[in-house]
Amino acid sequence: MNLTLFALGRLLSAIPVLIGVTIVVFLSVQLVPGDIALSILGRMASQEQLQALRETMGLDQPIVVQYLRWFGALMQGDIGVSLAQQLPVAQILVPKIWNSLILMAGSLALVLVFGFLLAVLSAPRFRSLTDRAVVALTLVLASLPVFWLGIVALYLLAFKWKLFPISGMYNIVSPGGFWDLIHHMVLPASVTAASSIAVVARVTRSRMIDVLNEPYILAARARGLRRRQVVLRHGVRNTLPTFASIGGLQIGYLFGGVVFTEIIFNWPGVGLQLYDAILARDIPMIQGCVLVVATVFVLGNMISDITVHALDPRKG
Amino acid sequence: MTIAAANTTPAPKRIPRRSNLYFVWRGVLGDPVARIAAAIIAGMVLAAIFAPWIAPWPPNEANPELRLMPPGTRGHLLGLDNQGRDILSRLLYGARLTLLCGILPVLIGAAISVPLGLLGAWYRGMGAVIMRVMDVLFAFPMALLAILLAALMGPGIANMMIALVVTLIPYNTRVVYAAACLEREQAYVEAARAMATPDMKILLVEMLPNVVAASVVYSCTIIGAVVITAAGLSFLGLGVQPPTAEWGIMTSEGRSFIFNAPHIAAIPGLAITVLVMAFNLLGDSLRDSLDPRTRLRLVRPAKEKR
Repeated sequence: MNLTLFALGRLLSAIPVLIGVTIVVFLSVQLVPGDIALSILGRMASQEQLQALRETMGLDQPIVVQYLRWFGALMQGDIGVSLAQQLPVAQILVPKIWNSLILMAGSLALVLVFGFLLAVLSAPRFRSLTDRAVVALTLVLASLPVFWLGIVALYLLAFKWKLFPISGMYNIVSPGGFWDLIHHMVLPASVTAASSIAVVARVTRSRMIDVLNEPYILAARARGLRRRQVVLRHGVRNTLPTFASIGGLQIGYLFGGVVFTEIIFNWPGVGLQLYDAILARDIPMIQGCVLVVATVFVLGNMISDITVHALDPRKG
Repeated sequence: MTIAAANTTPAPKRIPRRSNLYFVWRGVLGDPVARIAAAIIAGMVLAAIFAPWIAPWPPNEANPELRLMPPGTRGHLLGLDNQGRDILSRLLYGARLTLLCGILPVLIGAAISVPLGLLGAWYRGMGAVIMRVMDVLFAFPMALLAILLAALMGPGIANMMIALVVTLIPYNTRVVYAAACLEREQAYVEAARAMATPDMKILLVEMLPNVVAASVVYSCTIIGAVVITAAGLSFLGLGVQPPTAEWGIMTSEGRSFIFNAPHIAAIPGLAITVLVMAFNLLGDSLRDSLDPRTRLRLVRPAKEKR
């Protein structure tokens, strides 16, 4: 199939999923125990205040009407008003989304580079010492809770050995440019990336082992190509679609980690904002954060599907 | 010539039929790494059960004079936390909730997913609806959906468990659905239909035993991730509440004192890591011993391998 057509079809199929996401996020408010207005304003609120909030939130309308009104506002970029900060959620979130995307991009780069390197190092030497070491390393990485790894890295690398800054995105006293950002990003990005590196390395490795057992690899060897050439040219080429698809899946899992690393390293992104919203029980803000992340996840998966399609050697 | 050559090659040895249980038994017990993993988990389960008898101190008894003291303090092997509570005792008691929060949601999730996947594969219209709903749930990263649900339902162990169950259902349902779709096309199902066996009997008596293995294997491989997610929810203040001992909340409480007393956060986190690693190793071994591509090594003599 033509790549443009495939991309278009994939884009169209993401739309019902995204609409489903908005329905889930909208309905999640129904989970709040008791009277929503009461739980937002607290027990000290007067009847008039409660009634006013019910009207502004549309709580006195049938649920379908509530959803359509909410969805209509959403389409115009209005996710609601933060209860804690009394500002539009979208206005607060936009700069944070960028900060989170920067951190995610850094992590994703680490995941792809190291996941791939570990796989290429281990798969051609199946069952060798290197291979076993890589498998053991991925096992440990996959088992580390991200919040604990973050605390340990913060203590050892930032506090004790002073290799990296302890928190934030830029130096507060003299905010530098790009390199200051990178310096601040190394720790949170690596901590976020750890378990995803393990997943990518394992899946890519096992796919590559299968590829290297294919008859065409033997045929290439029989034609006199060097082993290194065979691995790099034919092995890697045919492993790429699997690598791209598992790498793309990590976008969502990385965000699960970003929530924790942003809290631990005080990175001013969506994750830290989500944590503050949880502590303040700021429901519109929680919904906004989740909505943003789920949308990024769906779009990320879409991009990775298209990349996989483009990389597949069987389809030009 | 070719016939003679064919006659001289020995006929391939017959591989005896074995039940799944046989493969689980041989595969897991024959694998030294899996044995160690199983021993670690068994040790932690025993520690959790017998915590009141083996813990040197009550989990919430505070000794303010000794607060923040490091491991090796007299009478406190693993040191004391920010309130002067014995970390070893809290670790032993904390194993109860940490294990429970990792295992129970997986069991409940499987109990819901197996019927959903089976019915979905059998009644295709229903299956289409179920799988579209699952597609939407898949659009949320696992940790995020759990955070959303737990945050809106309010903190607490029960709500955290519900959030984890809902988060797990799409994954397990997809596994069961895929397995059931394969089974649905098998000759034995066709035979049962030809004999006018009622649908429910085909599903429960014929297909269920063949589908449930996939769900069990998947559940075992996911426990490690659930332990981390549950501890993470408690870390965010959404699950277990202080002063209850649980490894995630212990790590979270220790975070504020990391620069003076790093052991408070380091020790429970290390315990989570060891537990998760043990579950992951055991899950991998279990999957290998039930995977048709790898399990033959368990019945073949080692020499014929590759």
